[in-house]
Amino acid sequence: MATTHEQIDELLAADLHGELTAAERDEFHAHLVECAECRQAFQEGKNMNRILNETMADKKADAAFEQRMVSRFRDRVPKRSGFISLITDLLRVRAVQLTAVAAILLALAQMGKMITGESATPKQHRESPVALDEYRSDQDKAGATQVSGILAKTDGRTKGLDLNVQSPAPPAPPPTEATTERTIVTGSYIPPAEKESALPVTTYSAETLKPKSKKSEVKDEKAPTSAAASTEEPSASSSAVGPTDNRKLIRNATAELEVVSFDESIQKITAFASEEKGYVATTSSEKQANGKLRGEIVVKILPDNLDRFLGKLRGIGELKNQALTTEDVTKAYFDTESRLKNARLMEQRLIEILKTKSKDVADLLEVEKELGRVREQIETMQGELKFMDSQVAFATVTITLSEKNMNLPAAFLLKEKAQLSLYATEVEKTYNEIKALASPKVQITNAQIDRDNTGRVSARLSLLLAPDESEAVIAKIKGMARVENFQVQTERVSQGGDGLGENAKTERDKVELNITLSRDEQETALQQTSLRIQTPEVNDKTKQLRSIAEQQGGRIRSSSFSRDPNGREYSTVSLRVPMKNYNALMQALNGLGKVENVSVRRDDRPNSQIDEGNAPADVSIQVYSQGNIVSEETGIWATLRRTIGQGAAALMWSVRMIGVAVAFLAPWALIIGAVGWMARRVSRARAAKKQAAEQEAERS
Amino acid sequence: MDLAEHAIYRAAIQGDREAFEMVIRSTSRNLFAIAYGVLQNREEAEDVVQDTFVKAWKSRWRVRDSAKLPAWLATIARHRARDLARKRRPEPLPEDFEAHEVVESAGQTADLDGEVRSALAQLPELHRVALTLRYFEDLDYGTIEQTLGLTNGALRGILGRALGLMRKRLKPALASIG
Repeated sequence: MATTHEQIDELLAADLHGELTAAERDEFHAHLVECAECRQAFQEGKNMNRILNETMADKKADAAFEQRMVSRFRDRVPKRSGFISLITDLLRVRAVQLTAVAAILLALAQMGKMITGESATPKQHRESPVALDEYRSDQDKAGATQVSGILAKTDGRTKGLDLNVQSPAPPAPPPTEATTERTIVTGSYIPPAEKESALPVTTYSAETLKPKSKKSEVKDEKAPTSAAASTEEPSASSSAVGPTDNRKLIRNATAELEVVSFDESIQKITAFASEEKGYVATTSSEKQANGKLRGEIVVKILPDNLDRFLGKLRGIGELKNQALTTEDVTKAYFDTESRLKNARLMEQRLIEILKTKSKDVADLLEVEKELGRVREQIETMQGELKFMDSQVAFATVTITLSEKNMNLPAAFLLKEKAQLSLYATEVEKTYNEIKALASPKVQITNAQIDRDNTGRVSARLSLLLAPDESEAVIAKIKGMARVENFQVQTERVSQGGDGLGENAKTERDKVELNITLSRDEQETALQQTSLRIQTPEVNDKTKQLRSIAEQQGGRIRSSSFSRDPNGREYSTVSLRVPMKNYNALMQALNGLGKVENVSVRRDDRPNSQIDEGNAPADVSIQVYSQGNIVSEETGIWATLRRTIGQGAAALMWSVRMIGVAVAFLAPWALIIGAVGWMARRVSRARAAKKQAAEQEAERS
Repeated sequence: MDLAEHAIYRAAIQGDREAFEMVIRSTSRNLFAIAYGVLQNREEAEDVVQDTFVKAWKSRWRVRDSAKLPAWLATIARHRARDLARKRRPEPLPEDFEAHEVVESAGQTADLDGEVRSALAQLPELHRVALTLRYFEDLDYGTIEQTLGLTNGALRGILGRALGLMRKRLKPALASIG
């Protein structure tokens, strides 16, 4: 048994440990009988086994070992409170872990949304009004001359249900728009959301329309007959004329007459009118300044009798002018008539639609509205026809009557009115001076002085001057102040008559003079100049400047002085000089320093009588110096101070940024940590497997 | 493995302390044997077993198959013991061994116990652990294979080799006894 011999170690151990099967043991023992070597080994093995049993017996764990282990375990792993252990145990369950991670992620996402202010639902976009504009322009392109009121009321959402009703185009266009095609386009859209709300409206409009439609039907029945009647009448009477048979002519006449007696003339005209089967429609009259009556009388008369009537009129008085116009409205008349026919057809069709196809509420509403519009058209056209009929039936004669003027004026009065605007340096003084002029020949009818809350003073005076003194007084007043404006108005008034009285006397009336006085500060300067002067001694030069200004008769209006932190000094002076001294002043300024940035603006005032020499010129001068090279703000201490300040600010800023960064990164760090933790667990599990594999290898 | 045992393992993994204590009672001897097999030192082995249970309790949720709990515990114990042994080494074992040999050969009154120990120390770790498990706890081959995570039937070869080596090392002593 070679194999048994070779495997002696294994079999020996297994036999000693009682792990051989019966067959193996038989075979093994049989071999032992045969093989002395193996018998020897068996003997040694038995001894070995015994020795091992003996030596190991006192080394193995003692009886109290388990108890010791348990109690030490209790010492080292203290029992945790129920809740915490529950939580920690729960957290070890895979499902709980996954749920927790998902919950954290969800919470983070929600937090992010809250922070960024995103709303969960996307905003609903409303169509912009542009859509409507487009829609309208489309309609305009299509040549729509009528946009129904419905469209005008619809809001921006004008897409969807479009009900285009093309009315049967009238065979002949209206006279005013001879070439434009008439297309009626109606568009409306009712958004789905508003459909329900539109429902009650529909019923309402249907109810209100019913009686209306009845009424209009009744009218429709009447209208043609009356129209026919009225058209028949003139045509019957004018049948004899021939060519005017079917023509619709409107005849109008105007006449202007000069008569001796207004009332008498009216009586005569009324008599003529009744003779010619006409009537006096209106009369009006007014009494004129010279006591004469003037008036207008409108007579309606049968067209055929018009010429005869006009002939009779000439007998009343002097005919100044007369005009006779005839307007042929035949075309317009028949156009309107055929359009009316079409509109009636349209109405009929719409009513049918309403009766048969009224299913959709929106459509129904649409048709109702269209019907209303068509009926309105019908009424308008009927009105037009009626008006034309009445115009054709009677000719209108407008007669203007005026009584002849028999008297010539007795005298003429020359009335003079003068308006004077003045600028004064001292309003009150000038005001008092003017008041002092008062005398029997200079009467002051009104004088008032106004001072408003800003301290502006103005005065108004009204004077009545005797004609012979007036010129002298006005000149005197003009000398008191600067004249802004002077206007004289002369009117000739005739007395006791009209027309040119060659023999009438002309007399001068008192002169009415109205004066307005305002401070010359308020006067806008004729010329405005601004300039800068650079000089090291600002203060001295400013003083010099003031004295120069005084020499030149200028007045300082405002002045200011300032010094900036860099040591730069500014002094601003604005003054006003008379124009005549302007050039001298500018010359003098050149002596003060370097004159820079000169800009001049002239205010030309045409149509006003001013003397340029005394007109004010504004000069605004800025005297300034260059600042220190090293200012207080750029010294070493200032720099140091600023640097430290900026450093501190930067530090605070960085602290803030770190806070932001932490807030920004913390969630991610959490997530990455969780992922890393999972990864580590996986890798550990793998390492354990690998170790097991190694052991396998080691064993073999 | 019977059902009751299985239920206990599962309860222990889910955090039942009483069940875990029962596991300690049932497995601590085997673990001690393993640790001793690696370390050849009782005090150290006891500490290793102690640590093994504490560590196992803390990371018990890593065990997915509750039936493998004993094998898992054994792995932990072996790793810890090995770590400890590595820390303790290098041990002047060869000289020690030589000295024993000298003593042995010089006089046959040599300490048999010391000889057995040195012979054991010279065995590969796995062999030693298998031997201690067998001789400490008298476990059958199947249980030992399961505990050490070995394939079926592998233990026979391992123990045979271990005993063979021991036998050859201790031949003089055995002969004297015989």
